[in-house]
Amino acid sequence: MKSGSRLERVLAAGHFAFTGELGPPQGANVEAIKKKANYLKGITDAVNITDNQTAVVRMASWAAGLIAIQEGLEPNYQMVCRDRNRIAMQSDILGAYAHGIRNMLCLSGDHQQFGNHPLTKGVFDIDSIQLINMVKGMRDNKKFLNGDDIDGAPQLFIGAAANPFAEPFEFRVHRLAKKVAAGADFIQTQCIYDMKRFREWMKQADDMGLTEKVNILAGVTPLKSGGMARYMAKNVSGIIIPDEIIDRIVNAKKASEEGIKLCVEQIEELKEMKGVRGVHLMAIEWEHRVPEIAERAKLIPRPQV
Amino acid sequence: MIVGERKPFDEIKEMIKSFKKVLNVGCGGCTSICMAGGQREVGLLNEELQNAFKQEGASSRVDGFTIERQCNADFFSELDEIVKEYDGLLSMACGAGVQFLADRYPQKPVFPALNTVFVGVDRDIGWFEENCRTCRECVLGETGGICPVTRCAKSLFNGPCGGTSREGKCEVSKDTPCAWFEIHKRLKEQNRLENILRLKPAREWRNQTQGTLVQEAYKKRYAK
Amino acid sequence: MSHQELKPVDTKQIQGMLSRKKGKMKRFLSYCAHCSLCAESCFLYMEHHKDPQYMPSYKAINSLGKLYRKNGKVDRKLLTEMKGIVWRNCVLCGRCYCPIGIHIPSMIAFARSILRSQDVYPQLDEVSSESWL
Repeated sequence: MKSGSRLERVLAAGHFAFTGELGPPQGANVEAIKKKANYLKGITDAVNITDNQTAVVRMASWAAGLIAIQEGLEPNYQMVCRDRNRIAMQSDILGAYAHGIRNMLCLSGDHQQFGNHPLTKGVFDIDSIQLINMVKGMRDNKKFLNGDDIDGAPQLFIGAAANPFAEPFEFRVHRLAKKVAAGADFIQTQCIYDMKRFREWMKQADDMGLTEKVNILAGVTPLKSGGMARYMAKNVSGIIIPDEIIDRIVNAKKASEEGIKLCVEQIEELKEMKGVRGVHLMAIEWEHRVPEIAERAKLIPRPQV
Repeated sequence: MIVGERKPFDEIKEMIKSFKKVLNVGCGGCTSICMAGGQREVGLLNEELQNAFKQEGASSRVDGFTIERQCNADFFSELDEIVKEYDGLLSMACGAGVQFLADRYPQKPVFPALNTVFVGVDRDIGWFEENCRTCRECVLGETGGICPVTRCAKSLFNGPCGGTSREGKCEVSKDTPCAWFEIHKRLKEQNRLENILRLKPAREWRNQTQGTLVQEAYKKRYAK
Repeated sequence: MSHQELKPVDTKQIQGMLSRKKGKMKRFLSYCAHCSLCAESCFLYMEHHKDPQYMPSYKAINSLGKLYRKNGKVDRKLLTEMKGIVWRNCVLCGRCYCPIGIHIPSMIAFARSILRSQDVYPQLDEVSSESWL
C-alpha cells in the first residue's frame, strides 16, 4: 500500500471504485459542506474536493477536505498549478497529509481568466505532470523537489486527470502515458458523453499497457437540462456531447429524469469496459441526486475493505 | 523587437501637467519601428498635449527630440545640453530606455509615455505578436520552434491541457491557437514527436532576479 | 514623401548643429586613412557582397562629411539621399572598428540627428520596405 487510503484499498482489492465531488463554498460556510457531505457519506469511496474550480475563490481544498474527514468522508484533495509555486505546493501537501488526507489529484487548473479575479497573476511554476512527479518524489524518495530530505514523507495516493476528448486526439493517450510515467496511481477522466471516442482512447491505452499500470476512473456528469447540454457542448472546450445525446435530453418529457437515466446507462456501460476500474461522478451542484444514481447504477452498497 | 503602445492620453497628461517645460524624448529604435515612440509619434503626442494645455489655460510647454536609441549611452550626448532647459522628461522608449534616460539625468523627473508590452514580431504593418518571454532557458529546440512559455496560457511543458477545442484553439479564446496543438502538429510533420513524449522535468526560473550579462570575450575587460 | 518634408530646409539650424560639434566631427573626418578596416567589421558590407556603399567610412563621409563640406547648404533631395545612407545602409549596431579610434557610429547618429531636425526620417508604415527610407 502506498497510502492505505480507502480508494487505494478498494482498487487494490479489485472492486469497481466510485468517487464523487464536493465543491467548497464561496465563504466559510461549514454547514454548506456538511450538507453536501451528508449526501455522499457511505455512498462514495472518496470525494474530490475541488481547488478553486473555474478560478473562482472558494474555501481552500485542504480545509474543506478536513471538514469532509470529520463528516466521515474520504477526501481526494485537488491541487492546481495556477495558484501556487513549488514552495507553497510542497508545504500544503505536507500540511494536508499531516491532517489525514491520503488521496491527491494533480491538475493544471482552469485558467484564471475564467474566474472572478481574471487579471490575477497565474503562477504555473510547474505543470500538472511535474506536480505528479514531485508528489511521487516526496512519497517514494522522501525528497523535496530540490533534493532535500523530508522529515516525515507524505504517503499519498496520487491522481491525475485525463481528457480523451480534447484535441489533438492522437496525443491524448501519450499524455496519459506521461502522467503514468510521472507517477500517477489513478486517473479520473473528463466527463464522457462520446462513448465511441472514449472506447477508442481506452483501447489505445490498453494497447500501450497503460491500463495495467494505472487505475482509470471514468468521469460522468448527469445532464440536468437541455439548456445545460447545449451550453456545455457549445462553450466548454474539451467536452464533446454528440447530437443524439443533446436531442435525447432536449426532447425528453422531463429532462432531469432523462439525464439521470442516461448517466445510469453510461455507468453500466463503463462497468463492462476493459481497463475501466471505477467511475468518478461529477454531479455539479446536484449532490443530493448522487444516492439515487448510485443505487440505480448498483454502485451501492460499497464493499468493506 | 520590443513592442510598446502609447499610454492613454489622460494618464500622460496627468503625469506631466505640473511641469512648466517638458521634453518628450523619442526613441529611434524598437518603439519607432512598432510605431509607438518614434519621431513622428513624438510630434503627434506633443501636438495633442499642447492643445489640451492651451484649452485648459495651462502654461506647460512640451518640446520633442528623438535620439537614435535610449538603450545605449552613445546616443545621449546630444541630449545632455538640451535637457538642461527642461524641468521634466517624457520618454517614448521601452521601459529599459526610460530607465536609462532617468539614470543619465538623475536630477530630472522622468515619465513613461508608453507601456512596454512584449518581445515580438511584425505580423504585418502595425500588427505585432508576442513570441518570447525572455525566460532564459530556451526550449524551442524541443518544441518545434513554438514557445510554450509564451504561447501556452498556462506555460505548460508536457503537452496540452484538457482545454484544447476541436478547432485546435486555446480555452482562453477562440482566436488564440493552442500552442501545444501547434507544437504537436509541427513535430508530427517533422517526424519528431518523440521530443514531447519524454517527461520534461520541472524547470528552473532564472528570470526572477535582474539579469546582467557579460559575453565571454569581455569577461576580462569588466572583471572587478 | 510625407507632408512634413515639404517645409523649406532650415540651413541656419543645420549650420548651428554642425558648428556645435565641429571640433570632434571634423577631426574624425580628417583622420580617416581609408584603410578600409572598418569595412571588414561591418556585417552589412559583408552581407552585400562588399558593396563599397556599405563601407562605414563611405557612409560617414557621404552623410556627415557632405553636410560639413557644403556647410549645411543642402536641399531636400540630398537630405533624402542621405536618409538612405544613414538608415537603410546602417543599423547603428556600433560594431565598426577603426584602428585610429574614429567613432563612426557617433558620426552616423549625428547625421541622423541633423536629418531629423529637418523632419527627414524613416516612415515605417509605408508599404514596401524600400519606401520607408
